[in-house]
Parts: sequence; structure tokens; C-alpha cells
Amino acid sequence: MTVLHSAPKFASNEGVIDAISETISVWLIEATEAHGEVIFRVQRDAVARVLQILRDDHAYQQLMEIAGVDYPSRPERFEVVYMLQSLTKNHRVMVKCSASEDTPVPTATTLWPNAGWLEREVFDMYGVTFAGNPDLRRILTDYGFEGHPFRKDFPMTGYTELRYSEEEKRVVYEPVVLAQEMRTFDFLSPWEGADYVLPGDEKAPPAPPAGEAKK
Amino acid sequence: MSMQREESLTTTGEVITNYTINFGPQHPAAHGVLRMVMELDGEVIERIDPHVGLLHRGTEKLIEQKTYLQALPYFDRLDYCSPLAMEHTYVLAIEKLLNLEVPIRAQYLRVLFAELTRICNHMLNMGAHILDVGAFTPNLWIMDLREDCLNFFERASGARMHSAYFRPGGVHQDVPEKLLVDIGDWLDNRFFQLFEDAMSLVMDNRIFKQRNVDIAVVSRDDAIAWGFSGPMIRAAGLPWDLRKSQPYDVYDRMEFDIPVGTNSDCYDRFMVRVKEVYESAKIIRQCLRDMPTGPIASSDSKVVPPKRGEMKQSMEALIHHFKLYTEGFHVPAGEVYVATESPKGEFGVYLVSDGTNKPYRCKIRPTAFSHLQAMDFMSKGHMLPDATAILGAIDVVFGECDR
Repeated sequence: MTVLHSAPKFASNEGVIDAISETISVWLIEATEAHGEVIFRVQRDAVARVLQILRDDHAYQQLMEIAGVDYPSRPERFEVVYMLQSLTKNHRVMVKCSASEDTPVPTATTLWPNAGWLEREVFDMYGVTFAGNPDLRRILTDYGFEGHPFRKDFPMTGYTELRYSEEEKRVVYEPVVLAQEMRTFDFLSPWEGADYVLPGDEKAPPAPPAGEAKK
Repeated sequence: MSMQREESLTTTGEVITNYTINFGPQHPAAHGVLRMVMELDGEVIERIDPHVGLLHRGTEKLIEQKTYLQALPYFDRLDYCSPLAMEHTYVLAIEKLLNLEVPIRAQYLRVLFAELTRICNHMLNMGAHILDVGAFTPNLWIMDLREDCLNFFERASGARMHSAYFRPGGVHQDVPEKLLVDIGDWLDNRFFQLFEDAMSLVMDNRIFKQRNVDIAVVSRDDAIAWGFSGPMIRAAGLPWDLRKSQPYDVYDRMEFDIPVGTNSDCYDRFMVRVKEVYESAKIIRQCLRDMPTGPIASSDSKVVPPKRGEMKQSMEALIHHFKLYTEGFHVPAGEVYVATESPKGEFGVYLVSDGTNKPYRCKIRPTAFSHLQAMDFMSKGHMLPDATAILGAIDVVFGECDR
């Protein structure tokens, strides 16, 4: 595919997958290149080992970001994605592994000190735990917050709201009361593969199978 | 420094223990809502535990509920000191997934306004940094220049701060010719005079140097390991600038230098920003000189909405307009991580699309996260008032840090 966009151009991806796959082949599940991004999906237990190999043998010196993603339909619903950058090769790769609530991911704090907060954020937002992180507290949510807000099954409105109470002269927490229901619109076109019955269609008799249409 | 004792004995035999203070969240030098729990031995900082998240608004969660275009204005509200730089990363991420070509004039306009944003951001940060360490006048002078920048944004987009000017596929509207002329005039006749006057008050000032030189020295290796970027890594002597090494839009056509520091202290970080302002001005001049005429947004009508005039004439344009502003455009499934050089460092967007009209996940990489995390080891052994200088030199904005 020819590159038409003007997004940041780093060094070529050519040969990168082969060179890296060779050294981490034991733990590698899948290596892909799509949209100009190189992604290695590896086994969860080996993720720290893989990151160390990438840092020490392949010169990816910087850990820029750790992102969590939630896919509720998968058996291990969370994905933890590490973005690495090489200053010397001017290249970026992503490493990812899957996890669930009760399967801890090995920590990267032993490799990069800045992994501490990044892991805390993933823990806070998704509830993924990191084995070996010495300081796995919540980071962005309120003191005493319960739940993991970025999970897909966590409602966007949350469960509690707070206001300043004139009687008690302090901020009080209360359960959320919505004056009107949350509005979510379904903008997906019905003729582009919606898998539900359109409003009104339930009254119509079921369409005869295609083969028997004309008799 | 060897002050690891929890208790120290005085000559009269009384015991003095370390004490803990709260810095912020309501503190003028906290640059927003930062709470730092500081453990002090006298006036020497032993340990800092920054508590972030007091401005957490769940931007990433909100973005998942919006179409790609509706999510754009959230980016203005991340780093509210440099809104256009935030938008820039986001639109580039969408374009990367769509593999969408952007017309050359739009790319020039984006670079022009991104650099103007950089100047705008540095004016605020340097002003605040100077103010934090005790000088008053320069802040007033350079804030005037920031005001000029905001007026330029207003003339281009209609909004001073939350512009929503960059759009997937280009920019929202073309700029009037007079605006480009005025930006050039401003650089020639006003900007440098005021800026140099203000800087002449601080750059060689004895007090300013005493407060900044040799404060929070970070070695090259530490800067890399802690994930530093932007002026923080350049002050450590690494000529690393994403505009140069991983060019986007028309940065590869621009001629500019990367200023680096030698000592990696707060003074170097400040000076890197001062020099960057000159480089940004250089880029703006090149943009003004070389910008071609032509379209300002992609001609792909499935992504870019039609012009109002067209809508009055063409049925198809009307349909496109309706579809784009209700359903929005669909982005092919996939995931990208796009990072650009925002005025504060590497600002990244990790965008996961599932092929629908809304992002499945949009992870924002704030620049301040890794810098603020290093606050503890940077401040260790320094005096309490140095914490404000270190914080000023980090250039942290909580809209972006907490998201």
C-alpha cells in the first residue's frame, strides 16, 4: 500500500519483524505489520523478558507508553500494550500481551523506572495487576474510588456523584441520579450488516428462504 | 548529600524528626492542581510523592462514545496551553488509519499554526517559570506576546484557545491573506523586540541563575530511562526532536536547528525553550514564504464535509453533509500509535479502531507523566523553594497530565 498520509515517518519496518522474531521466537505468538506499525503479541509470563531483549539487544531504549484495552468478548479480556522507541535506530515497535483480572502481568519497573506510573494507570483504569510493581496504588481516580472506570461495562456516568452540601458544609458523595436517560445513538447503517431487527420489522412475517421465493 | 536519618540529634539532646507537608493542590506554583506530599528534613527535600489525577475528567472514556470528529475538541482541552499541538497528533492518527492524503497547503497551515502554538506555549511556561523563581516583569511582557498569538488563532478559527481548527484531512477553513501578512509583520516588527527585552532581564540575571543553575541535574542515561522527551531530553544533551527525526506534515521541508543543553539542569531547560522560540520563528517564516495556494482539505468527500455553497447546489454534497455530521466517517479497523513533538515533549495517541464511526480505544500519552514521575529523584537533596523551579522547568499542565 502506498503511503499517502503525512503522519510521522520513522525508519523502515523492513526486516525488523524477522530480526526480532528470531530472538524472541520462544515466547512469540504473532508478529504483524499493519498501518505501518510493527506489533509483537507475546506470552504474558514472558513479557518482561521480551522487553528486556528488545531494550538490550535491539536498542529500543525508551518505554514511551503502556496502554490498556478492554475486549469483553475475549476469554482474557484485557490487552496491555507497550510502546517502545529506539533513539539510535529511530524506530518504534509495540509489544502486547493479554491478561484477565486474576492473571498478573510481570512488571517492567525493573527495566524502566517510568513504568511505575504507567502500570499504576492501567491498574487503576482496568484492574490489571502487575506482579512485582512495588507501588501499585490508584493514580488518576479519586481517593477511595471503587471500580475500574475504563472497562467497557463501566457506565460512562459512573455510580457516584458529588456536590457541595450547604447543610453539612462539605462535599458529599451520592449515587448518580440522571434527570433523563443517557442518550446513545446508533448511527450504524442498517444495510451495512446490523445484526438486530429494525423497529417495525418484528410485525412483518418472516421472509421465505431465498430458494422458495417464486413458485 | 547524606541526610537519610529519620531522626537527628541536636546539641541539647532534643530529637527532631522529619516532617511531611502538602504542596498544593491549591498552590500558585503547582501549575494547576498538583498535590505533592513532601517529606522534609528541615528545608531539604527527602522524598516527594506527587498525587496526580485531581483534574481527571475521563477524556479517553468520553472519546469512546463520540464519533471521530466529535472527539476532536476534547484534545483542545487536554493541554490548554498548546491546544493545536494536541489536535495535530489526533488528526494525524486518524489520517494514518485512513491513509488519507492531505493537500500541501493544509500541511503548511498546520505546521505554521503548530509552531505558533509552540511560541504561545513557551511564552506561558517561561513566564510562569520566571515568576515562580521570583521575577515579575518579564512575565507581563511575554504574556502580551501570548495574547498576540491567541488573537491570530481567533482570526483563523474563531476561538482564542479551543480552536478545533485542524480536521482529519486538512484544516477547517482557509486563512485570510491579511492574517499571514500580519503574522509576518508581527515577527519582524514586534515579537523579537519584546521577547529579547524580556529575556535580557533574566538570562544573565544573577538571582535567576542562582535559582536554576545546577538544580535537578539529570544524566543522559537517566533521561532516556525515564522516558524523557522534548526540552527535557534536549537539555540533557540529546539532539532528539521528532520534527526532525520522524518528520510529519511538511517538517521535512523546513530548515531549523535543534538546540541542546550541556548541563541538564533547570537553567538549560529554560534556555532550550528560549532557543526553540527562535527556531519556531524560523519555521513560521519559511511557511509564510513557501506556502502554495490550493485546497485546504482533502478532496475525499467521504471524510471531509462539503462547503456550504456546494450544499446549496448539489444533492450529493447535501447527503454527504448530513451523513458526516450525524453518523460520521468510518475508519478501517486497526491500531496505530502516533507521536508528535508537542511543545512539552512527545505527545502520543494510541488509536484502536474496530471499523465503526467511533474509536474503540483512544489512549493519550501525556508528556508530563514521565517527567512528573521523575520529580522525586530530581528533587532529592534540594531545598524546598527549588521544587517550584524544577516544576516550572518541567512544564507541566494538568489538563494533559490527568486527561
